Amino acid sequence: MMGNVFEPPGLSEFVHKRKDGSAVLSSLIVMLNPSKYGLERWSYVLQRISGVVVSFYFIAHVLETGNFFGGITVWGPISYETAKQSYEAVKAFLKDPLFDAGLAVIGLLVAFHSFNGIRLILAHFGLALKRPSRPEPPYWPSSFSNLQRALFWLSIGLAVFALVYTLDSLMGVFRS
Amino acid sequence: MRERHLMLLHYATGLGILVFGAIHVWVVFFTYPLQDTIWETTLQFDNLPFAVLPVYRNTLLALSLFGLLVCTTVHAINGLRVIIIELFGPRGITTLLTKVLIGLGAFLVIYGTRTILIANMIT
Repeated sequence: MMGNVFEPPGLSEFVHKRKDGSAVLSSLIVMLNPSKYGLERWSYVLQRISGVVVSFYFIAHVLETGNFFGGITVWGPISYETAKQSYEAVKAFLKDPLFDAGLAVIGLLVAFHSFNGIRLILAHFGLALKRPSRPEPPYWPSSFSNLQRALFWLSIGLAVFALVYTLDSLMGVFRS
Repeated sequence: MRERHLMLLHYATGLGILVFGAIHVWVVFFTYPLQDTIWETTLQFDNLPFAVLPVYRNTLLALSLFGLLVCTTVHAINGLRVIIIELFGPRGITTLLTKVLIGLGAFLVIYGTRTILIANMIT
């Protein structure tokens, strides 16, 4: 605590600190384990996992598109022919179907993160929520209304659709 | 900047990504290939020589791409920062990791802007 400002403790402060220093790993396991909790916890975990994976994809995408134009050593205008050579080299590297499959997974994660994110923005501003109620067993959070649940499952549905569509578009998986 | 302001910025950049990202995906994968492969509505990007270049050379689309770059960088860096705070609390290693993330974000914006500018100026 500093002055009157409340500073929330990190997960690692609640986790038993082992002698081998694995408290960080333990706090990660606590964070990423949604079992024994409700649907909202699954939403929390999936939102974080999808966000982190898409962030790493974004970094890779910026570096990859930079390579289309000569890579990090080039910082000035280049000719069309030079750019085309770089582009062909990167395209040959990305020809592996593994990259297409990875892109399809990114499509799934981006779709889920986007639509679940819209649900979270609505919840943040008090929209689509139930009235607050006294906590009683089994302690289902009253904030997670039927509409919020529907939006969560809609996020899952749209994410699966994005996966199927991207797989079909990039790899022709569902085409005869 | 207070956390509540950063959270509002997180939401605003998230919505920005939806708008600019939709433009990006649309023009790269759907609109341009239609000019060369008539009525092919699936992704034909790889079948065309350097099809993405005209997208970058259009100033308005290049600006929207810059918007996408900035929004995604801010959103990703702030999201990772929030996760680090949740894991470690607001002090200690979090301060160092936040500085590393801000440095990474600055690099991504500079390098991404360089890519957009070079593509825009190709002769």
